[in-house]
Amino acid sequence: MRFMLLVHPAGYDTAKPDFHPPAELVEKMGKFNESLSKAGVLLSLDGLHPPSAGARVSFTGGKATVKDGPFTEAKEVLGGYWMIQVKSRAEAIEWAKRAPMPDGDVIEVRQVQDMADFPPELRKASGSVRLGKQ
Amino acid sequence: MRFVVFVPAGPESERGMLPDAKLIATMQKFNEELADAGVILAAEGLHPTSKGVRLKFDAPGKTTPIDGPFTESKELVAGFWMIQAASMEDAVRWMSKAPFGGGVKLEIRPVFEFAEFGTTLTPEVRKNEERLRAKMAANRK
Repeated sequence: MRFMLLVHPAGYDTAKPDFHPPAELVEKMGKFNESLSKAGVLLSLDGLHPPSAGARVSFTGGKATVKDGPFTEAKEVLGGYWMIQVKSRAEAIEWAKRAPMPDGDVIEVRQVQDMADFPPELRKASGSVRLGKQ
Repeated sequence: MRFVVFVPAGPESERGMLPDAKLIATMQKFNEELADAGVILAAEGLHPTSKGVRLKFDAPGKTTPIDGPFTESKELVAGFWMIQAASMEDAVRWMSKAPFGGGVKLEIRPVFEFAEFGTTLTPEVRKNEERLRAKMAANRK
């Protein structure tokens, strides 16, 4: 089973576009990442620039409208993710608990849909564009 | 530059309804176009938040679990793309072609590349990061 650990960093909604995480936190995360890797569960991870450096594209009536960040209406924003491969939801939560997060941060643990979760007719309708491990 | 594009959850995805075959076929066509242009790196859908959990980090070593669904949140994620594009404008141009309607809002966010950290990181941390990236790539195969 694959799980996505979505990071909601406290206060990231108001971070400046040129924000970079402090070196000390990057080092701590590096050690945690190393432990995920040694256990063979790590598939990918990335950090995201703050919402103030992002954009939102909305679709109405066949027309796309672009709005640059920050998104003042959003209180909970994402700062990064891990994608891990584990045997159960409980194992995914166990790994998330070990992450060296600053106080107030939240990690959301979500299972990734695999083609095997879909009924046969849907499996047939999707198909050729698969990029990650199934 | 790499970008993550978040797809917001809606009442249907939160109820755990799977997209119908027609929508999957339309989405596949769009993904095929992204793939042919060398833009798409990954794309995944997530199970609804009713199957998820949130962990709040109160203090070092102290976490509080909150079971889904996360009804207090207005903005939930249902899936994502990872794409590579020359610029934010280029990323916006590609994603504007996505087969959505009805007011759906995609959020496009640039990814931190390790090179951006410059001299703030020690050579050892850099070397470890490169090794880690190689291991992750091997795990995905």
